[in-house]
Amino acid sequence: MRVPGIIFADKQLLDHAVGEKTIDQVVNVATLPGIIKASYAMPDIHYGYGFPIGGVAAFDTDSGIISPGGVGFDISCGVRAMRTCLYVDDIKNRLEDIMGILSFSIPKGLGTRGRIKLSADQLKQLLKGGVRWAVKNGYGWEEDEYFIEENGCMETANPDFVSKTAMDRGMSQVGTLGSGNHFLEIQAVDEIYDSKAADLLGLEKDQITIMIHSGSRGLGHQICSDYIRVMQQAALKYGIKLPDRQLACAPLASPEARRYYGAMACAVNYAMVNRHCLSHWTRKVFEKFFGRSSEKLGLGTIYDVSHNIAKMEQHNIDGKTREVCVHRKGATRSYPAGHRQIPEKYRAIGQPVIIPGDMGRYSFILLGTEKAMSESFGSTCHGAGRLMSRTKARKQIQGSELKKELFDKKGIVVMAGSMSGLAEEAPQAYKDISRVVDVTHFAGISKKAVRLRPLGVLKG
Amino acid sequence: MVDLKKAGKKYKCIEHLSDIGIEFYGKTLEELFENAAEGMFSIICDLGMVELLNRRNVKIVPEDTDPENLLVLWLEKLLYLYEIDNILFSGFKVGKIHKRNNRIILEAEVFGQKADPSKHNIRTIIKAPTYHMLKVEKDSRHGRWEGRVIFDV
Repeated sequence: MRVPGIIFADKQLLDHAVGEKTIDQVVNVATLPGIIKASYAMPDIHYGYGFPIGGVAAFDTDSGIISPGGVGFDISCGVRAMRTCLYVDDIKNRLEDIMGILSFSIPKGLGTRGRIKLSADQLKQLLKGGVRWAVKNGYGWEEDEYFIEENGCMETANPDFVSKTAMDRGMSQVGTLGSGNHFLEIQAVDEIYDSKAADLLGLEKDQITIMIHSGSRGLGHQICSDYIRVMQQAALKYGIKLPDRQLACAPLASPEARRYYGAMACAVNYAMVNRHCLSHWTRKVFEKFFGRSSEKLGLGTIYDVSHNIAKMEQHNIDGKTREVCVHRKGATRSYPAGHRQIPEKYRAIGQPVIIPGDMGRYSFILLGTEKAMSESFGSTCHGAGRLMSRTKARKQIQGSELKKELFDKKGIVVMAGSMSGLAEEAPQAYKDISRVVDVTHFAGISKKAVRLRPLGVLKG
Repeated sequence: MVDLKKAGKKYKCIEHLSDIGIEFYGKTLEELFENAAEGMFSIICDLGMVELLNRRNVKIVPEDTDPENLLVLWLEKLLYLYEIDNILFSGFKVGKIHKRNNRIILEAEVFGQKADPSKHNIRTIIKAPTYHMLKVEKDSRHGRWEGRVIFDV
């Protein structure tokens, strides 16, 4: 180990991480060249492949590396939260109807084709332009980009570094939800912890919000696969010893790293456009359903943030500001109040950190903090983290019974493409999100602002 | 594992907390690759419902001779065809895996059917095969091939 491992957890979460041997993965990351300060794990840490899920690591630009496995297959998987000016009473008796329409209107499942068909040239423009491209082509609002990490576009994106296979997979999947833990939820504000922040976020109790969790689809998966192979060769070439092939990496100063960073940025832009188009169609469904424009329904973006990403960022290390490459794999950026890279509207409170929970309990909006900058390279958790394997969940839980139970006991309307897929995502298969969020709150790496509860759930 | 081999099983699912993996066996390297592909599609859907109506030819020529890398590329290619052509595959015929000019070459015919939501219940969607805990090796004691792959789902 070149640096220590630091895990943010309470005793129960830590015991869990120890039990499933996730610590070994924290240790493996700590052996990579040029790692700075520590190999970090957030409280939602769980066993991944190569890096742990919930892992954060920053690397020196001269001696450090970049690793596609430290970002993951679903590059820029992330979450967008939107507000409305509706309240629970406006929707509770019509929930099944609107969820039915959303289920019909939002393309979901892997391999699903979206409504946008792009030529290779158009896809290249999308990959370079990000959300600005989407707005120019009639999707979403102009102001949305101010409320997206990187303002909806990583400028370093270079489509020349994306393979034809990845391009093929990307051409017909813009605006599709995907599968697994991806979802679209209608939620309600359940509790407010910070009223000043809630005011600025434009939220009050019982207000309806929307949360979209999706990523870069086949394009991102392919870029990750392609570059893990490139990096395995690079690791040999540059003499980097790997404890796990999935940790394949290259020195940040190498041409291999430059190519991956350019391709990864394309997938980040693709993922942000994907969530943007999904919000666009959600707005259209709401407009039709309530007979009012999305502007009148107040369907603005609260924030959109990635939780699988690597970025060059400025951080203070031993009193000096340095550029480092921060990997967040299942971790969210958590920038403090006053930071110039967060929207002006939120500069007094800190960056909104959108944390999706499970479909039966809660999700949260947290706020970034100064302590995150000094303790975890401006990072915090990303979700609940799994407790039960997918195979076990499928054996123990019946999707159709779960759907009925959520409706009967909690009034939550669930729409899912696959009942066994739904069982894999059952609340009992996940850790309690409140516990995870409390650890980050008391450790000071993000602060609780608002708790949301699910009313309607659409799964891929 | 021993029991499975005795029973002549081709593959089995293994537990991994966040994802799903399979172990698979074969009398030859070619059969190992066929069983790995069948195991992967058995995670996606009930293969009993997939008829052999469509055919695709697959050729994989990696830049090295590593059989593990070849396995990942093979499974990736099948997922790609599923995603792009919307075909679920249930029949796999892998020709002799051979080396030429310092490269390992796999050629195969794969058979399946266009995915039909009214007929095929898609159980789990696989994003990609990973290199984590990846294994392709010959068990010299039993003279059989064994493999393992973890999928990101």
